[in-house]
Amino acid sequence: MTTATTSARANVKPTPTYETIAWKWMRYSGVLLIPLVWIHVLIQDVLVGVHAIDLNYVVERWANIGWQIYDILLLAFTFAHGMNGLRQVAFDFFQTDKARRNLSWILFIGWLVISFIGAAAILGAAAKHLA
Amino acid sequence: MTTFMASLRTTLAGYINYRGREGHYSFLLHRLTGLGTLLFLTIHIVDTATVYWMPELYDHAIALYRLPIFMIGEMGLVFSVIFHGVNGLRIIYQDMVKPSSWSIHTQRRAARVTLVVSILIWLPAAYIMARSLLAHL
Repeated sequence: MTTATTSARANVKPTPTYETIAWKWMRYSGVLLIPLVWIHVLIQDVLVGVHAIDLNYVVERWANIGWQIYDILLLAFTFAHGMNGLRQVAFDFFQTDKARRNLSWILFIGWLVISFIGAAAILGAAAKHLA
Repeated sequence: MTTFMASLRTTLAGYINYRGREGHYSFLLHRLTGLGTLLFLTIHIVDTATVYWMPELYDHAIALYRLPIFMIGEMGLVFSVIFHGVNGLRIIYQDMVKPSSWSIHTQRRAARVTLVVSILIWLPAAYIMARSLLAHL
């Protein structure tokens, strides 16, 4: 490897670590997020609009298992993609292993807590209001 | 703390002073649109979750989003989501499909095409949202 050239370097496959898996995850989840997020934004922000959205609208949507599944996927993939993206941006500013480890834990716990708050709402709201 | 401030200064100076033209601007725009979308997403998960946790608060949250300033922000959000997606596809294509085709020339052109495509997708959405904004002034 001491005489690595550009063409030799292009053929080296790195051993998978957490960071290479996270790097690939951003690309795979990114492809999935394009239909998932764009359809959501097209319907809610562009076609329906914030003036037609109220509590009833959300509850009725979540009474439909199809939209519940859709919104669970949306929550899981967008927020994980976003929080890992924030972690990668923050790594530019926090350069010691200790700081990066602490930061990763804080973001992981924040991700877990907010994901739980959102998922409970998607799964529980219709049952609560329509009971 | 001093090492953190030093690294903050070095990184920010790099963000600003790096002279990579199109590649530099698309890197910055990708990060800004990503962080902006994440900021809104975090707030949006919590405010929508009030439907279950504190239903009496949901109408207040929606009332905020109906303010003209938030509707303008929403148009910016839609642009962010479109640009981040189109530029993401460019990155994925370059990283995972055709890494061997990388060259400064094609990347600069791809970055310009990405911006134009994003604006073209955004314009019809912005038109509909602007019409709604004017109708509710």
